Amino acid sequence: MSSMPVRPKHPEGTPGHFLSYRKFLLRSLALSTDGSLLFYTWMIMLTLVFLVGANAWANQVVHGMITTNMTDHVSWGLYISNFTFMVGVAAGGVMMVIPAYLYRDKAMHNVVILGEFLAIAAIVMCLMFVVADLGRPDRSWHLIPGLGRFNFPISMLTWDVIVLNGYLLLNLHICGYLLYMRFLGRTPNPKWYIPFVFISIAWAISIHTVTAFLYSGLGGRPLWNTALLAPRFLASAFVSGPAFIIISMFVLRRLQVPILDDPIHTLLKILRITVLISLFMVVSEIFTEFYTGGAHTSSARYLYLGLHGKNALVPWIWTAVGLNIIGAILLLHPAATKRAVPLIIACVFVFVGTWIEKGMGLIVPGFIPSTLHEMVEYLPSVTEWKVSAGIVAFGLMIYTIAIKIAVPILSGRVSPPGQPHPPRDC
Amino acid sequence: MTEQSKGKTISLPVLGSVSRRTAMKGVGATLGAGAFAAAISPLRHLADTLTVEELMQQHYQELSADGKKKVIERLEAETKEQYGADVTISDPRPIPGTKFVYAINLSVCNGNGKCVEACHNENNHDRDTNQSYIRVLEMQKGTMDMEQGNTTYDHEVPAADKFYMPVQCQQCDEPPCTDVCPVQATWKEDDGIVVVDYNWCIGCRYCEAACPYHARRFNWKTPNVPAAEVNPDQGYLSNRIRPQGVVEKCHYCLHRTRKGRLPACLEACPTGARVFGNILDPDSEIRWLLENKRVYVLKEEVGTKPSFFYFFDS
Amino acid sequence: MFQARSSNRMSDRWILLILVVCGFTPLSGCDEVGSRHEVNTEFADFVGGTGSGGRFEVTISRPAGPPVVRVATPEGEVALACSTCHDVRTPNFSNTTTADLDEFHRDLPFGHGSISCLSCHNSDNYDTLRLANQTTVEYTDVMTLCAQCHGQQARSYEHGVHGGMSGYWDLTRGPRTRNNCVDCHDPHQPAFPRMKPTFKPRDRFLTPPEHDEEAGHD
Repeated sequence: MSSMPVRPKHPEGTPGHFLSYRKFLLRSLALSTDGSLLFYTWMIMLTLVFLVGANAWANQVVHGMITTNMTDHVSWGLYISNFTFMVGVAAGGVMMVIPAYLYRDKAMHNVVILGEFLAIAAIVMCLMFVVADLGRPDRSWHLIPGLGRFNFPISMLTWDVIVLNGYLLLNLHICGYLLYMRFLGRTPNPKWYIPFVFISIAWAISIHTVTAFLYSGLGGRPLWNTALLAPRFLASAFVSGPAFIIISMFVLRRLQVPILDDPIHTLLKILRITVLISLFMVVSEIFTEFYTGGAHTSSARYLYLGLHGKNALVPWIWTAVGLNIIGAILLLHPAATKRAVPLIIACVFVFVGTWIEKGMGLIVPGFIPSTLHEMVEYLPSVTEWKVSAGIVAFGLMIYTIAIKIAVPILSGRVSPPGQPHPPRDC
Repeated sequence: MTEQSKGKTISLPVLGSVSRRTAMKGVGATLGAGAFAAAISPLRHLADTLTVEELMQQHYQELSADGKKKVIERLEAETKEQYGADVTISDPRPIPGTKFVYAINLSVCNGNGKCVEACHNENNHDRDTNQSYIRVLEMQKGTMDMEQGNTTYDHEVPAADKFYMPVQCQQCDEPPCTDVCPVQATWKEDDGIVVVDYNWCIGCRYCEAACPYHARRFNWKTPNVPAAEVNPDQGYLSNRIRPQGVVEKCHYCLHRTRKGRLPACLEACPTGARVFGNILDPDSEIRWLLENKRVYVLKEEVGTKPSFFYFFDS
Repeated sequence: MFQARSSNRMSDRWILLILVVCGFTPLSGCDEVGSRHEVNTEFADFVGGTGSGGRFEVTISRPAGPPVVRVATPEGEVALACSTCHDVRTPNFSNTTTADLDEFHRDLPFGHGSISCLSCHNSDNYDTLRLANQTTVEYTDVMTLCAQCHGQQARSYEHGVHGGMSGYWDLTRGPRTRNNCVDCHDPHQPAFPRMKPTFKPRDRFLTPPEHDEEAGHD
């Protein structure tokens, strides 16, 4: 994968894109379903988890969201928590794209598609989490501009629909185009993807900004109603995304996919900064909340210390704080550059820490106390855990299959179809 | 990984030939599809109850007069079928020159909760949860901090050193809930009432997150209302029995108030704490109240401009 | 309306049973007083424009008349007017509490400031009431009596923002009925009675908060 041989352009007289693209898809299908016993085990396991989730969701749709532990007091729970976190993971992929394309980091350029795949998988998960959270998924079509009634631009959720789907399309295009060109054995034409790459960089920032605005624009929820939310979301996104990619790179290495140290070290350098910025922002929030005091800081007090005898989230947030601090120390320790194990542990820690911090540590406490200052607590129900696990399994399936297709194609091990036809206008 | 996928004989020795492997893949795909169909089979329940008309129904504001009539007939029939109750669903429109405003006298309110119950009965709320659009906070005298209040009190009222503050939809002039709705399923009507099209709401609950007054309720399940208790005087945008999975809220009893009647919660109040009327009428009771009492609105600092006022007069 | 305030008492002097029905309070078990004519009194002009200009009426409920004491006799039950007894008794203007009484009304709950019985009851005609300026007021017009002291409430009432009502907010579409002062306030003990809330939310996971002393303010 680190060495991607560029095949010479093929002469005229080859079949058109209609045929070669079909071959590309078929070949991809074959690649995605061929594999070792390990691969099949992994995929079957993910499928089973996904099926459990699908079943739980189907029951939720039929019996109502009473099957969740959400209430009118805590009206968003694990689904929207995971949605928020996954938007961050999707945006985090851009931390590979920026070095690869803005700083022309060759080593990173070779593996940048991992970040783009992660973006695709994470966005698909985001969309699934939103649908899982809908009380009436049968009416999703109301969200389609033209068909339904799209409350654009005033509803931030419509912005989110646009930016998430846009980001998905951008990354599908970039990845699809590059893979297809490699499949054809041709050098990708920069005109057809470089502009999209640069758009996607700005777009990645936008998806998490819009997602933060979704919450920070609500004056009735003091915990979210802070200008720091969007920057904080981005900082933690640039922790969770790179952390996940580093982990997946080590996994790929174990699977004999050659991954050089350079991109890992670049991501580590990025992580060392973003994890500190992220922690700094959390500290800033904590200071402001606790030094100020008063009714608007109740959620923070509930989250960190418990309030009026209720403290369900206290273990969650201190776990997150602990994981993030230990993770940060491990990342900053010189051993992280030399040895895999501490680095992987650090990445797992900050990934899980960020997941808690953005979900159970941010979305849920925004509702506690309620706007009438009632204290109703929330912990996810079994249905919510099942559905969430199912969605994550589906996301991992996408990520696995994408890599499964890309590695042989990018490393030139897939023979191109007969004689590819050069595109007419590119 | 490529090596592994090439080395088919190593990983799966039984699958010697490509055709064999392809066949296995086909079996696997079939099994997977079958398992998926089984997993989501509960959805067949939905297919039984969800009609194409309901699924494809247009937004309230886009329904023609004829279309609306058909929808209402369908809803009445569904209520008969599902709840065993004969109901009449009307669709009263705002009275021109009317803007509804509500006020509560906190010197008089004693927190007995009759308004909560009246709302529950009037609006065909779920019996299992005692659902209601009104919550009454028992507040500590000497502070307006709601955090020192609570809604769960069940001792004799008024308790010493307490006052009582009922909260329901404030029918804001700057409603954050309608702004955030991604599908315009909720909007503010000309008489100031913020309504929900229960047949358009997708149930994302963004409005619930946006409302600073805990005014919105989500139907976590199908409401349970015994046939004998169903209030048959229903409105499309108000108290008809809501479907599962959609958001609802106080609508100032528009099926009553748009026909000139007082809201159910006002009539039920034994203390006479509630005042309702048309602020655009200079001779109205509510107008005199706003001009002569020292009123305040809840959470003025969030800029929602409520059409709901509180006052003390002793 | 909320609480029967009749004091049942066995008397060893009078006939078998005397049910002392006190004053003009809305008593359950006392038909004459309990049933009210729906008639517009002078308070009707408190609510502007009733009965004119195509508008429906605002009806203020009011007592049917002076209270009576029901007495069981061998010939049957008879209703006695207040004056039946009081005409032959000397009024005591200094009475401000039922504790000073030596017979009748002694169990009458009384808590209405420091006023005396005869601040409101007319010593010249016990079947009527009397204002501070000695003007006689019929029981049916009791609100006029209340209003002489409770000006703020009367003013609010006049403008429709005090006291319960039902019917129509829009009088061009239908009528409205309004409570009388004594529908909600027992004149002898006007503080609104305490109530027990009967309908509480049953939200999932909603439990009472634990309030400690320093809760709420840091």
